[in-house]
Formats: sequence, structure tokens, C-alpha cells
Amino acid sequence: MISCINVAKSYPMGSGRKQVINGMSLDIMPGEHIGLLGRNGAGKTTLIKLIGGVELPTSGKIRRQMSTSWPLGFNGGFQGSLTGYDNARFIARIYGHRYSDIRDFVEDFTELGAQLKMPVKTYSSGMRARLAFALSLAIEFDCYLIDEVIMVGDANFHHKCHVELFEKRGDRALVLASHSPDLIREFCDRALVLHQGQASVYHDVNEALHVYEEL
Amino acid sequence: MIAKLADGWRIQRRVIRALIARELVTRFGRENIGFLWLMVEPLLFAFLVGIVWRYMKGPEEHGVSIVAFVATGYIPLTLFRHAVTRSTRVFSVNGSLLYHRQIKVLDFILVRFFLEVIGAMMAFVTIGLVLYVLDEFPVPADTGSLIFGWFLYCMFTFSLCLVLAPLSETSELLEKLTPVTLYIMIPFSGVFNMVSWLTPDLQRIMLWSPFVSPMELMRHGIFGERVHAIWDLTVPVTATAILMLVGLILCRRVRRELVIE
Repeated sequence: MISCINVAKSYPMGSGRKQVINGMSLDIMPGEHIGLLGRNGAGKTTLIKLIGGVELPTSGKIRRQMSTSWPLGFNGGFQGSLTGYDNARFIARIYGHRYSDIRDFVEDFTELGAQLKMPVKTYSSGMRARLAFALSLAIEFDCYLIDEVIMVGDANFHHKCHVELFEKRGDRALVLASHSPDLIREFCDRALVLHQGQASVYHDVNEALHVYEEL
Repeated sequence: MIAKLADGWRIQRRVIRALIARELVTRFGRENIGFLWLMVEPLLFAFLVGIVWRYMKGPEEHGVSIVAFVATGYIPLTLFRHAVTRSTRVFSVNGSLLYHRQIKVLDFILVRFFLEVIGAMMAFVTIGLVLYVLDEFPVPADTGSLIFGWFLYCMFTFSLCLVLAPLSETSELLEKLTPVTLYIMIPFSGVFNMVSWLTPDLQRIMLWSPFVSPMELMRHGIFGERVHAIWDLTVPVTATAILMLVGLILCRRVRRELVIE
């Protein structure tokens, strides 16, 4: 389980501070799929970074009692000047996995071939998404944090994600930030709508989508 | 509790090893001499400055080889300058690595500092061996003092990095003032003279600099009775302890506010 207890986050803005998340509590149970909805700038990425421990809350607490992936998004987690293979080696090392296992899975999942020998900064966002997913799937987490990035892939990537994430690893928890109503409706059990620093949890995903569309 | 600590230690060792490997590849690539580049700069500095001084001031000063004297001073000084320069903005430069929770900001400082120490030590040994063959460098008279002095010097440098790394994230001014400060401190670094060569008034002032006593210890370790070394461990030890404490607190504070893309 991951518990967010009264979490708030603000950033310095001019002489004051901008309150992005204003005291929210949320429990993420094992196996639960939670959708994150909100307009651009509502704080979806910030919340995912807080849950993933990339940034720390201004106040409140986050307790993680299951292994949690790093936020899979458009940036972060990689060293742009290193090749795909070097990044895989680095991640295998820090998570204590055998590089050869990770490499085989990455080669198979990403289908990037010789591109893996190129620096990651030369990758398109779709290629980065493939690499990020491959690495985090190879490491096996109890909870995956996914920030939009699933949308950038092509049909083949969607199919792979579907099989590897939603079918083979359907028992894992998932926090999914997305603007795609279909994706949220299909895969999420609950949804959270972020608006003006307030988070509202809806057990009925359709209701959440309705609220979101009215914003 | 103990098991948790042991676990954390195991993970940190893993992370530090991975970060060192990564830093070596990004800085030096895999071609030609690779990580040996680490020692090239301190080595060149010590050699070239040593040669310049020899031609300016003659082969010996106060009874010791001037090349050896300059080299023993310059290697610690380059360590200090490099370590400080490389610790500025180290959190934001490595920000994308903080996506992985097991990597801590302290690891960044530790890894960069560690690599500089390794480079400086390789340079120290190399220059000592080469100068020994040329009959310009003695066999260290007291290895214990040499190592202890080096250790104190490194610890003080590290404690300063611990303070500067977080401060440089919050203040642009600090980053801009660092180069000139590094230059101004040279006379107080104990690199170019022994304390005993100075007047009693100046001696008292010099011993307030945390670099001087470790430097004197190192020189005593190398040249033994041929130089008259004066040291007082209170200043470097106290300064190191205070800076470390302040640095750890600052790191924690700055990490909380760190914005990562």
C-alpha cells in the first residue's frame, strides 16, 4: 500500500508561493488502478513525482509499503548522453539486477535494435517511452507510475503495453495520468480529479470523467 | 533496525559503484587512456609549476628540492580546487537520476569527491616515483604522518563540498564568487611555504587556516627532519566537524525544495 497523508506541495513564485496540491490524502492498495485526471498544469505530474519520491512534499507524508516504479514520463530517469545500453546497465546496477536479463528484455520489448547503441538524447519521445517501459517492466514493481507517456507510442507499442502491463501484470497497482477518457475508462477502478489544488476521488470512473469534462 | 541499516548500506554501496562507473564513462568515454585522465591534470599542474619554480628560484629552498616541495603542495591544492568546482550545482546537474529513489543527493557529492581523491592520489604516487628516480624526491620519512595529513586535508575538503553543493543550488552569487575565492585562498593554503619560515605573527594567523596543519603534517611525512613542521589539529578537526554538520542539514533542506524536471 502507498499512503499519501495530507500531502501539500507548493513552489516558489515571485515573492510568494504557488500552491499546486493543497492537502490531499489517498491510499493506493495493491493491485488497484487509479486514473489521474486534470487539465494542463493541474498538478498531475507533480502528484506522480511526489508519489514516486522524485520531489518531496512541502508538508504531509507519503508512506510506501510496496515497491514503486520511478515515474514513467517524457523526461527523467535517463542520462541523455549515455546510450540505451549504458542506461540499461546503470539501472540494472542500482536496482541490483543482472544486466544480461535486463538487456534481453529491453532488446525484445523495445525493438530498437542498433538504436540502443545511440545516446538516449537522440531518441524520439516514442522511443524513450519504449525504453522506459521496458526497463521498469524488466525490474518488476508492485506499483507503476505512468505519466501520459503511454499515449505517445504507436499501435505496436500499445499492444505490447497492453499484454505486458495490463494482462501479465494486471495484479500490480497502477497510477495513470492521462487525458484519454478511453484509457482511463478501460483500465482504472477509481479516478482522481485534480482541480485548483484540490483532489477529489471518485469510485465511479464515469462520474470522474464527467466532472473532468465539465472543468 | 540493524537489518534495515545493513540493507541501506548495501543499497548505497551498489548505487555508489554504479554512479562511479557512470561518471567515468560520461567524463572520459571508453577510448584511449580512459579513467587515467583523472590524474593527468593534477600531474601536469604539479610538474609544470615545479619546473617553473625551479628555474625562477633555483633547485632548492630551505634545504629541500623545490620541485618536490611544489609538487607536494600542488597536488592537494588541485584536489581541493577540483572538488569544490565539481560540487557546485551537482544536484541539479544530476537531477534526472533522482527519479530513482535509492539515489540520494549525498551520493552525488560523495562520488565526485571520491573520484577527485583517487585522481589526486594516483598523481601523487606517480609524481613521487618519477621524481624519486630523478633523485628529486625522498623516500617518505614518516608514512603515517603523510597519510594522516592527507586524510585530514581530504576530510576538510569534503566537509566544505557538503556545504557548497546545497548552497550553490540556492544562490547564484556563490557560484560566481567561487573562482575568485579559490584564487584568494592560495596564500593561506600552506602550499608554497612552511609555517616555520614565517614570522611568529604570521605563523599564528596561518595556523587558523584549516589547510595549513594537514599540509604541514604531509610535508613532515615526506621530508622528515629536513623541514621544521608546525601543526595544531584543533582548527582542522573542529572546522571539519562543524562544516559537516551544517552541510548535512543544508543538503536535507535543499533536497526538500529541489525541483526536478
